[in-house]
Amino acid sequence: MWPSVQRACLIVLLSSALGLVVNLVSPKGIPFITPPKLLPKPEELITLEQAREQWSGGLGFFLDSRAPDDYAAGHIANALNLPADHFEPHWAEVAALLAPDTPIVVYCDGVECELSHRLKAKLAELGFPNVKILQNGWTVWRTAGLATEQGARK
Amino acid sequence: MKSLAWLDNKWVHLLLRWALAGVFIFAAVSKITAPDKFAIAISNYRLLPHEWVNLAAIVVPWVEVMTALLLIFGVWVRASALVFTGMTVAFFFMISSALARGLNIECGCFGTIGGKRVGLTSLLLDAALLLMAAWLVWRVKNASQPEPGSNVSGGINSESQSAQPS
Repeated sequence: MWPSVQRACLIVLLSSALGLVVNLVSPKGIPFITPPKLLPKPEELITLEQAREQWSGGLGFFLDSRAPDDYAAGHIANALNLPADHFEPHWAEVAALLAPDTPIVVYCDGVECELSHRLKAKLAELGFPNVKILQNGWTVWRTAGLATEQGARK
Repeated sequence: MKSLAWLDNKWVHLLLRWALAGVFIFAAVSKITAPDKFAIAISNYRLLPHEWVNLAAIVVPWVEVMTALLLIFGVWVRASALVFTGMTVAFFFMISSALARGLNIECGCFGTIGGKRVGLTSLLLDAALLLMAAWLVWRVKNASQPEPGSNVSGGINSESQSAQPS
């Protein structure tokens, strides 16, 4: 049994080395050490209280960065759906409503969810700097008993 | 084990080797072509420390390829079946842990093609592969004849002198 165990270790070591070399030369290579997660800076976030004030004031827009199915199942009232993963097909419709200085709140669901961060980055590229992230937005909004609605995009 | 004696047929061994190899090659291709997506699939299991995820995504598919090639050509059969067993055991724990925590994630078992969710099917398939590979580890050295397809003299036969189990 022992020679097989040694050989098995050798197989793993050699193929790992091969993988590392291939990754180094491949155009699709990824960093050996996973880069840290995109953590939002505090100034990019908006608190639930601030978001609620902005919402009641009717200022700006709330953008739901989740997939259309999740949006249809329930979202913050009056929020528009702009899925971060299918940005292009939805963008024109939303863009027509926005001015560069429009205050925008983006959200998705779950502490780990990165959709809203990605959406914020895309909006920044397109010249919309006034975007805040409501972290774990759908859950905190809903559990606070604030206004929600269901249904697909209007 | 008499009832399982027919499984010690060299042609059954060949069939097992090629079947296992086929699965690993199929599994490795889409992981190698899209390592970034495979890394996300691994990360979704939330088992590895974050920093190690990419390294696993880079290395795992190549271990699969190498293991599969050795199984196909009949070189170091017992050792490569051992690697196969080890990996399927690891996958078994990862999948069961994901199921136990109720994670709704892509399996990532065959890369990210089809977006197959992790579920009981993934676990059963993994268990079946595990048993096939473990059988080879256990029985291959008992073969009194060269394995069909074996073209390297230092292959399985060099191990057939070691002590027998059971």
